[in-house]
Amino acid sequence: MRRILPLLALAVLWLMPGTAPAQDVVKIGFHAPLTGFAAADGKSARQGAELAVAQANAAGGIAGKKIELVVYDDEGKPENTIPLANKLIGQDKVAVVVSGGYSGPTRAAAPVLQRAGIPYLSAYAIHPDITRAGDFIFRTGMMGEVQGRAGAKLVADLLKKKKVVIVAVNNDFGQALTAGFKEVAPKFGIEILKEHTFAMPDRQFGPLVAQVKASDPEVIYAPGYFFNAGPLVAQLRAAGVEATIIGQEGYDSQRFIEIAGKASEGVIVTTSLDRDSTSPATRAFIDEYEKAFKDRVDMVAASGNAAATVAIAALKKAGTDPKAIRDAIRAGSFDTAIGTLSFNNLGEVKKAVQVQVVKDANFHRFAIIDDLQFLAPPEK
Amino acid sequence: MIGAYEITLVAVVSINLMLALGLNLITGFCGQVSLGHAAFFGTGAYAAALVAGGLPLPAVLLVAGLFACALGLLVGVASLRVREDFLAITTMGVGFVFVGVVRKQGFLGAEMGLTDIPDHGLGDLGFVGLCLALVALMALLTWHIKRSWMGFGFAAVADDERTARTLGINAAAYKLAAFVIGTFLAGVAGAVYAYFTRFIIPGAFGFTVSISILTMVIVGGVGSIWGVVVAAVLLTLLPEFSRVINDYKLLLYGALIVLTMRFAPGGLAGVVAAVKARVRPGGGP
Amino acid sequence: MLHVELVLQGLINGSMYAVIAVGLTLVYGLLRILHVAHAGLFTLGAYITVLITNATGSLPLAVLAATLVVGVAGMLVYRLLYEPLLDRPPYVALIASIGLFICMEESYRIVFGPYGNSFDTMQLTQRITIGPIGMAAADAAMLVGAVVLLTGLGLLMKRTRFGIAWRATVTDPAMARSFGIDTIKVRYVNFFIASALAAAAGALVAVLNNLVEPTMGSVPSYKSLAIIVLGGLGNVGGTLAAALLLGVIEAYGTIYAGAFLDRDAIAFVFLIAVLMVRPQGLFAAR
Repeated sequence: MRRILPLLALAVLWLMPGTAPAQDVVKIGFHAPLTGFAAADGKSARQGAELAVAQANAAGGIAGKKIELVVYDDEGKPENTIPLANKLIGQDKVAVVVSGGYSGPTRAAAPVLQRAGIPYLSAYAIHPDITRAGDFIFRTGMMGEVQGRAGAKLVADLLKKKKVVIVAVNNDFGQALTAGFKEVAPKFGIEILKEHTFAMPDRQFGPLVAQVKASDPEVIYAPGYFFNAGPLVAQLRAAGVEATIIGQEGYDSQRFIEIAGKASEGVIVTTSLDRDSTSPATRAFIDEYEKAFKDRVDMVAASGNAAATVAIAALKKAGTDPKAIRDAIRAGSFDTAIGTLSFNNLGEVKKAVQVQVVKDANFHRFAIIDDLQFLAPPEK
Repeated sequence: MIGAYEITLVAVVSINLMLALGLNLITGFCGQVSLGHAAFFGTGAYAAALVAGGLPLPAVLLVAGLFACALGLLVGVASLRVREDFLAITTMGVGFVFVGVVRKQGFLGAEMGLTDIPDHGLGDLGFVGLCLALVALMALLTWHIKRSWMGFGFAAVADDERTARTLGINAAAYKLAAFVIGTFLAGVAGAVYAYFTRFIIPGAFGFTVSISILTMVIVGGVGSIWGVVVAAVLLTLLPEFSRVINDYKLLLYGALIVLTMRFAPGGLAGVVAAVKARVRPGGGP
Repeated sequence: MLHVELVLQGLINGSMYAVIAVGLTLVYGLLRILHVAHAGLFTLGAYITVLITNATGSLPLAVLAATLVVGVAGMLVYRLLYEPLLDRPPYVALIASIGLFICMEESYRIVFGPYGNSFDTMQLTQRITIGPIGMAAADAAMLVGAVVLLTGLGLLMKRTRFGIAWRATVTDPAMARSFGIDTIKVRYVNFFIASALAAAAGALVAVLNNLVEPTMGSVPSYKSLAIIVLGGLGNVGGTLAAALLLGVIEAYGTIYAGAFLDRDAIAFVFLIAVLMVRPQGLFAAR
């Protein structure tokens, strides 16, 4: 008996991992700001990712195993995201992690996942340092600089306008977009009359509007989020400013149109979701999202969905070995809600920029900027 | 089992502990309510990020502490001029001005923050060891101060500044001392934070951080070192344990604060004192 | 022309600050509580306004309901949270208030969702022009609303029995009681009025932005603290002046100092500068 007990114990120990429920599922880690000032984006990103997982499970999962999305709230705080990333790796034993968060938390998590050798996909955070953490880190969203460049091309090449006032949200998102726009502006002969910033919680732009009116630009380039952009656009129009307003992916939510009302008509945004796309992946996403969540799609939901879709496709192709997953992402080309994605050496996405315009209270296709040479993200 | 998760969690808790111990000195011992502690934390972090490339770790900690306490001295001087609620709001203002200025300065990385802070070179366990050692050192330091003549001076100022003055206690000197020491600790915490995340952004040192540190001090029981330590650990870990209920954890956090203040306004230390008094009715032996 | 508009926009923002901050100063004047959760009541007022307008189609009815409900909610906050803490050190009520504010913001997010709510049909979208100056009807509503509310408050304080009782209680509660003033009732009425003002401010901001969100109170929560301190803590007239002045300073600051200071920093640089020269605020209490 005495001899058998330790043997039994040993056997149980050996069998444990095999019988643990963790082996019946493939886990994808996910973090996003579910509370705090960015909770709206957190919810959209989460719903987008959940939809991708639900669809994959309905289609049989990965080699017969169900996919489980392990969701944590990063609260938008970098320091909290470090233990959280470690928990996803050590406790939850996820195969791959998707960030539905902003730049701060994503920058904090990237080195942790790189060191552990777990592939990490950032859905829409814009900071350039994220992918520099190493070869396991990818970005499915556009870098701020890239989108800023697209904005300048839109102003000069498509709209044929020159005089611009920049009104940008005062954070890394606004700063990166402004930098990208200004970088190529001289090449296009764009003249920047004035540059202003506002804070993320700002909803009243009276003084800025007065100043913009005095500057009398042809175009207002205004990086911000829908909750800034709605009131800003309404107030610009209410003050009689008729310049073309160029937004970007932060505007890309039906909420922007609801807040700004009629003032939103004619606003043009650079984004990643084409509402008029005929691609089956995009159509399926838009229809199923609206059915599942009884809400309209937005850019963040589409980005969360796209990042999760890439993760799932890579898992299907490569199994659960992290290195194989990384190589699959690096080498592959993925059909997602935001178009066909592939990655450069740094892990930055290569894809076209969608230009949408608000018409009859909906986003519609205005143009597609697909000069990938011009849009090329940095390689290191 | 100690994994990377636990190790990094200990680091986060340690940083909050250092901040709370420092603020406890200012608010707890000396009675000067500060709503801007994150500004000193941030000053330390930025100073550390700027010098970490060229100096060894202990020197970086020292420099961070010194920068923070230089700002602390300034605010301390202001505290000689404005009192009580006016001081609370002034310190809040210092917090906003700090973030507002930093986020516009190119040499501090503006909104993109400072990056490429070098590795501390201690390894994961070594780093946590450093964190815990610093916390222990700070707890000991504040404990020693509390028991010393300086602690008596602080208490007198906290209790009733005018009376303290008539007793010949140099209230101004004690207030300045409290601000300088307390903010030095915050600066060191900032350096540890910089080594921990290895990049810093202005948003990490905002008003909500100041509020959460002050909450730790007051929920712990103003002036009580062990109370503040327990509260800092509990309040930092609470969201961690309630991750399963992601959606409600901040609500729970708020409710906990409201209930503690409503039913135990003396904080944890107050509760323990009350229980002790009940166990020994009439003051005991 | 630009300067006329900047001053005007500053005054519009300032009057919004004033309506919120004046309620806060009423509470502080009477009880010495830094009532952070006031901003949570402001948000509640905004939510009730939008939801009832969308349900009934009547904005005035919604504003009335918001002021009444939030007024009562304010009295409840006093009864359930502050009253038991009055003889504690002031920071106890402050932290309790911050905790309550967190709870309120989180409840709004959980109940109404994080995306915010808007009016089904935008309110007050017309444009009003007086000579060369034009403004949106919502801006005009903000200005007029603030003038009406604050004049009403002024009359209440100067001309009514409650006003006399309030001032007597603020000056010397014991003396007021000996003259037969029901100081407890004064406190309740005080919280009702202060909270109803917060709700009215919430309603005005909802109309102005066509957007009500769980976190809309976070900026007012601290900025109104700065304003009542500038105004000399507990000084109603001083609060009004400080709010308007801050509105104008921010308007100029956003345009001319935006490159090196953000908007909040401008407000607080001003605050700190004033307090270093006049530690009792721009206008000493009472």
